[in-house]
Amino acid sequence: MGWLAPLFLFAALTVALPIWLHRLKTKSSDRQPFSSAMLLETTEQQVHVQKKLKYLLLLALRVALLLLLALAFAKPFLERSPAAIADAGAGTHLIVLDTSVSMGRSGVFEQGREEVRRAIDDAPAGAVIQLIAADGVMRLVRPASTDKPAQRTAVSSLSPTSGRLDFGQLMAEIERYASSLPAPRTLHLISDFQASAMPVQFADVIPAGVASFVPHVVGTGDPVNWSIAFVRQTADGIDVSVRNEGLLDRTVDVQLRINGERAGVKSATGQGEYLLRFTELDFAEGDNRITVTLDTDDDLDADNQWHAVVSNDPPLPVPLLTAEPSGLPVTYLSAALASLTDANFEVEPLEIGDFDPRVLSRYRWAIIDDVGAVDPLLARQLDELITAGFSLLVFTGDRSIERDTLPVSGHQLRAAGIGSGKFLAIGRFDAQHPALSATEGWHRIHVSRTTAIELDADDEVLMRLENGEPFMLEQRRGDGRLLLVLSAIDNSWNDLPVHPVFVGFMIEVAQYLSGRDSTADQYTIGDVLPLSKTGSASGQIIDPDGNSVLDLADTREAQAIRLDIPGIYAVYTAQGEALVAANIDPRESELGRISQSVLDRWRDATYSKDQAVARDTVNADSDPVALWPWLLLLLAVVAIAESALGNVHLAMRT
Amino acid sequence: MAALESRHATARRLLRPEVLAGLKNLDLVARSVVEGFLIGLHRSPFFGFSQEFAEYRAYAEGDDPRFIDWNVYARTERTYIKRFLGDTNSHLMILLDASASMGFGGPPVSKLRYAQFLAASLAYLASRQHDAVGCMVFDEEIRDFRAPSSRAGKLHGVMHSIDRAAPGTGTRYGRPFEKFREQISRRGLVAVISDFYCDTESLLRGVRPLAWQGQDVVLFHVLDRQELDPDFKSNVLLEDVETGEAVEVAPAFMANEYRERIRDHVRSIATAAAGTGADHVLVNTSDGLDVALRNYLLFRQRRQ
Repeated sequence: MGWLAPLFLFAALTVALPIWLHRLKTKSSDRQPFSSAMLLETTEQQVHVQKKLKYLLLLALRVALLLLLALAFAKPFLERSPAAIADAGAGTHLIVLDTSVSMGRSGVFEQGREEVRRAIDDAPAGAVIQLIAADGVMRLVRPASTDKPAQRTAVSSLSPTSGRLDFGQLMAEIERYASSLPAPRTLHLISDFQASAMPVQFADVIPAGVASFVPHVVGTGDPVNWSIAFVRQTADGIDVSVRNEGLLDRTVDVQLRINGERAGVKSATGQGEYLLRFTELDFAEGDNRITVTLDTDDDLDADNQWHAVVSNDPPLPVPLLTAEPSGLPVTYLSAALASLTDANFEVEPLEIGDFDPRVLSRYRWAIIDDVGAVDPLLARQLDELITAGFSLLVFTGDRSIERDTLPVSGHQLRAAGIGSGKFLAIGRFDAQHPALSATEGWHRIHVSRTTAIELDADDEVLMRLENGEPFMLEQRRGDGRLLLVLSAIDNSWNDLPVHPVFVGFMIEVAQYLSGRDSTADQYTIGDVLPLSKTGSASGQIIDPDGNSVLDLADTREAQAIRLDIPGIYAVYTAQGEALVAANIDPRESELGRISQSVLDRWRDATYSKDQAVARDTVNADSDPVALWPWLLLLLAVVAIAESALGNVHLAMRT
Repeated sequence: MAALESRHATARRLLRPEVLAGLKNLDLVARSVVEGFLIGLHRSPFFGFSQEFAEYRAYAEGDDPRFIDWNVYARTERTYIKRFLGDTNSHLMILLDASASMGFGGPPVSKLRYAQFLAASLAYLASRQHDAVGCMVFDEEIRDFRAPSSRAGKLHGVMHSIDRAAPGTGTRYGRPFEKFREQISRRGLVAVISDFYCDTESLLRGVRPLAWQGQDVVLFHVLDRQELDPDFKSNVLLEDVETGEAVEVAPAFMANEYRERIRDHVRSIATAAAGTGADHVLVNTSDGLDVALRNYLLFRQRRQ
């Protein structure tokens, strides 16, 4: 028997109240001195005894009333004994097969399948069997059933994947799912039990709701494995790091291919980690597909290949529309973008009024150092370009404040911003915006002049001064965007160009407006590739096997996809084509197992937790018998009896 | 005539126990009661109980010299005793029960306080009749005793003994009455004031020897209204003030069976008293004292 709310049992102490009241009544109520009991004795003594007995009955009823009330609130239940539960059913056997990369070692996965079949056969008759495959995600191989032959057949369909198994993540999912299955639940885990799969906290591998944990260790022995730790582009070429996990000295040949062409081969022998440098490489213009292959006879083949994407783009020209091609703004902006080594942006000053606006269609984005210099014709053409996907970084300046309306953005100017001689710091800014998220030090900027405008409803203010005045805002029009800074790129208006934050800001803005940072190019299997990181609409993705990942509907709606196949994916978005590489998690190449003592502790802790849960809570599956409805019924009967008896006593007194 | 009526009304009021309860001095109570009572006796059938002259007789040895008429002696040089109609030359012994049960009753007065009023009034009345007056206060033992005396100063001592009586323990008639007989050999009047919560045999064991001794005994049976006519609205736990025994009784029982029992008890006491030649006077503490005094005078008249 157990209690759902045992604290309510303290309410039973209230029985002291009627007992005290009855004692009080007996002692003091209607007790009067009388000259002599000589004429009262015998018959009246009986009356007293009878009355006393009646009072005791009333007291007993009242005490019972309070006790029943306390007991009912404490919600008692009768729990079926373990034997009864065992008789009721054989419970569930959750049989989980590790299908991660490391299980792909020669012979190990087949050994795992055999263990699964053995676990199915050993399950008691009538037990519900749930076959689960687990790598980065948990997959139900077949619906849970007691049909052993069907479950055995399903085992053959399992094969190793490119995912990584994390025991903590797996147990959390098992815990969520197992509660829907009949108890008691036995968890079989067939795995090579990599030490790298253990979570930081041991408690995370102890699932609740599982009565017993049975580890089936496969792939024993000392494996030999060469793996690739990383591949990275350097100024001279490409560095490849390889390492040998095994104890035996074996030689590995490391072959580098660029866009399918063999670019070089290097060798390594023995234990440990080696850094191999491939130089004098011939890259094609744009993104290059890099494949590194290990040629060795180690135990695990799946990690013998690594994919990477190396960019070899020419400097991306950025037109800077200015009225003074030799002015300070041109100098500041050119210097800032020239410091960006990866993106290779190159500023091309174009004098406003002296160029054909149609050339802008060749660029992804442009800069205007003083939007006040833009004439209406250029403004209209820029507006059309933005709507079509073009982006602009626009500053204001001395020419801007002479206008009633800012060209291109269309903002109405107010009387004036802050005046000369008064400096204000940056107040707050949107640190989550892609153009600002990686920049620091904005609060050290002092601004003496701004262009005061009337904000439009669709303006997204990214930065304000400490007095609340907008300093930077963004407008989105169609597929393009306009980033407007309400001050000049000139040290007479502010000291932004001479602060380090300006360089970082320009780098982030260049990547943001050019769309170059819309995708990273290195991912791990199981990662999610975001398609809308820059807010652009999704496009299409071609997986390493050449298949389209998204169907027609998803091409407009999908925001992210999960990368399951190692290799190079081609991502087509509104910003253009990009390549991303997906590789297996390097931790899957670490084949060291967890010790037997840890496994024993895991098994014991699972059992102890289940026992504790069984003691402390009512497991819905154990089908406890709630007693409180019966107590309430009894309570009602006692209440009626108490009222009736109390009424009798009341009638006797009156 | 109106003045006389007013005087009678005042006298009657002074006989009420609730009025007397406001008087602390027992002498004053006795005086007020007797004087009021005597006013009520004006032209009453009880002729002879006043100080009305009856006759002269020659002084004989043993007579109280206070009663010699010195005016006659001056004229005749002979000593004559002046006798009055109420003069019996007797003595009155008052036996006052001061047991715990006598402390019950009221308001306005308990049975004991009422008994004290009665005893004091009897003593004062007897003193006015030139009777020697003594008293004995008892419960299980004799707690105070004053031998009968007709001297003027002795009345004050009797009054004091009566006044200081307080409820004591239980009641026992045998031993106190035996000691009383040893102290008093001369015949006289004996007034026993008690609630007589005892069986008749025990009472007779005390009273019968007195009768045999030649004493004229009158039993003033003092009971409170709540004892004679109990009025309880609900069940009540009654505790005997003498024994501590508690008995819970129902209103119906007290209204019916108990009343019958108390009547039977009073009747049995009266019957037992009659069997020994004693008088029995039932006194309700809610009644005025004149009823008791009238009964006493009647008793005294019969015994002359």
